Amino acid sequence: MNQNFYQPINGQIVDIIDESPTIKSFVVVPEEEFKFETGQFVELTLPGVGEAPFTPSSSPADSEKMEITIMNAGRITALLHQCDKGQKVGIRGPFGNGYPIDDFVGKEIYIVGGGVGLAPIRSLFLTLIDRIKEFKSVVCRFGARTPDDFIYKNTLFGSWQSIAGVDMKLTVDEANNDWDGNVGVVTTILAQDDVDVANSAAVVCGPPIMMKYALLKLLEFGFSDENIYLSMEKNMSCGIGKCGHCMLGKYYVCKDGPVFTYGQIKKYPEIWD
Amino acid sequence: METVFISKLKPFLDAVAEQMELYVPKKTGRHFVYSKYNPSTETVVEFNNIRTCVPAKEFLFPVRELAATSPKSLDLKDIKPFAVFGLKDCDLRSIEILDKVFADDEFQDPFYVALRENIFIISGDCTEIGESCFCNLFNGRAFAGGGFDLNISKINDGFIIEAGSQKGQGFIEGHRSLFADVPEALLAERNENRARVQNQLEQNNTELQLNTTLREVVENSQNSEVFDVESQNCVECQACTRVCPTCHCFYLYDTKLQSYFAKMKMWDSCMRTGFAAVAGGANPHKVLGDRIKHRFMHKFVYFLDRYGIDMCVGCGRCVDADPSEMDMRTVLRKLSEEFKDKKEANVTK
Repeated sequence: MNQNFYQPINGQIVDIIDESPTIKSFVVVPEEEFKFETGQFVELTLPGVGEAPFTPSSSPADSEKMEITIMNAGRITALLHQCDKGQKVGIRGPFGNGYPIDDFVGKEIYIVGGGVGLAPIRSLFLTLIDRIKEFKSVVCRFGARTPDDFIYKNTLFGSWQSIAGVDMKLTVDEANNDWDGNVGVVTTILAQDDVDVANSAAVVCGPPIMMKYALLKLLEFGFSDENIYLSMEKNMSCGIGKCGHCMLGKYYVCKDGPVFTYGQIKKYPEIWD
Repeated sequence: METVFISKLKPFLDAVAEQMELYVPKKTGRHFVYSKYNPSTETVVEFNNIRTCVPAKEFLFPVRELAATSPKSLDLKDIKPFAVFGLKDCDLRSIEILDKVFADDEFQDPFYVALRENIFIISGDCTEIGESCFCNLFNGRAFAGGGFDLNISKINDGFIIEAGSQKGQGFIEGHRSLFADVPEALLAERNENRARVQNQLEQNNTELQLNTTLREVVENSQNSEVFDVESQNCVECQACTRVCPTCHCFYLYDTKLQSYFAKMKMWDSCMRTGFAAVAGGANPHKVLGDRIKHRFMHKFVYFLDRYGIDMCVGCGRCVDADPSEMDMRTVLRKLSEEFKDKKEANVTK
């Protein structure tokens, strides 16, 4: 019998973590074995209500459960934010490609992220630090609107600051009294000498406007189109390149993405719309 | 594969209907639409001169279907063989296109595949052309070249039936007594008919002959104003995507049925304002002209890049269905003229 990719497997929300005023992380335990690669996404169903695409923020190495960080932004996410522990959910996927970790081996990895874009990046980061010796370094430049808007505060402000091989800088658009770091959009903490451009791969994930300007900066630094990996946000629905909602030029973001090199998609005008 | 003769359609269709459910074209107003064939009440059997109004995609890709259930997973139901009569060459080629998406892809759609494996396709030659037919632009013809189980050609004194698959050949062999041999003269008559209608088709579309490929024309129209200008003729009724035999975008939605939760799969349209919108508010195709442009890009550039064929068969259904003045042929002609002008301007520079 053919596999039915529209059929979710059952799962349950076992824990909910408040990350910021608008963002929560949901710990989901699937009832069946569920494997994914970092950067791939899943369709999370509220039974009878609807589904929406999310890239898990946990490490694929954790096979028991998966964490999904969700901003309250639309119909389904608003309802998810009202859910309590114990809520039954459906999970479809994983869909699309992941980050090409093996291509990153031996390189410096320059990760630029902002806002809820840190969700897929967290999964990537956890995957990279598991194998940190295989990479020359992991250079992170993350931004948020205010210090409160940073997600994963405990680890971001804590243990992630002191991992050997990781160089982490943070910035906020607007500071508060407790903030003694950089103030300014994320491009203000990107510098030409952050990495050896010729031997680096850049990963960008965040709101479209941030991605657009970070990309321009990376190009200015001399990154080639093929060494800039962008996580694209489109209206992914079926997950298998058929329903048409997430088309970006000839690509289906759900199947050919969500991670694209800039070189793949640069000729299409609607990248950031 | 055999070619045989039968003088009347009814005994043939009755024999098909004895084996499986059969759908036939019925004239409703000006148009042909499919309806279920009932041998005991059906007295007049019609041979549709041109394609039906509604495309045959509905038989393989229903308007709405149950795609998943929870908490208990959906069992895929067994599909019984069924037959559809009255498809034309454009319909057969549209099925080839849908196959690329739903059946030949690494991710198969199990619902489509089950229906596809069980459909018995009885196509027919076009006996005239529709006003809006422009299939010749996509190497389409007034008669089928392949993709059918049986094909029927209407001639003066009856019908010539040709098998195009093992299933079709098997049917002929199983119903020997219904058919007679075809004299050479009748085959010649069929070929003359075909040539005549094919010629009409080409005469009808002389204005649409382009000097370059459609792909090149449409791909170079990224900044064209034609889409915005033409969009003033569009009332956003989405009829074009509904009647298109190749449009296959769909919408997945969740609902509660009696005692379980269901995920439904339903036709959607890229002409809808919110089609590509994301929860955060971004929408790459907010403007109607951009949606129309995307539709053209998808059909003539992106699909071709991906699957090696155009996602249009030139059946003209979208032209017929449009309640306003929107006409795909006009858009293509304008884009083509614009492209020609641009090219000439570049040469003079």
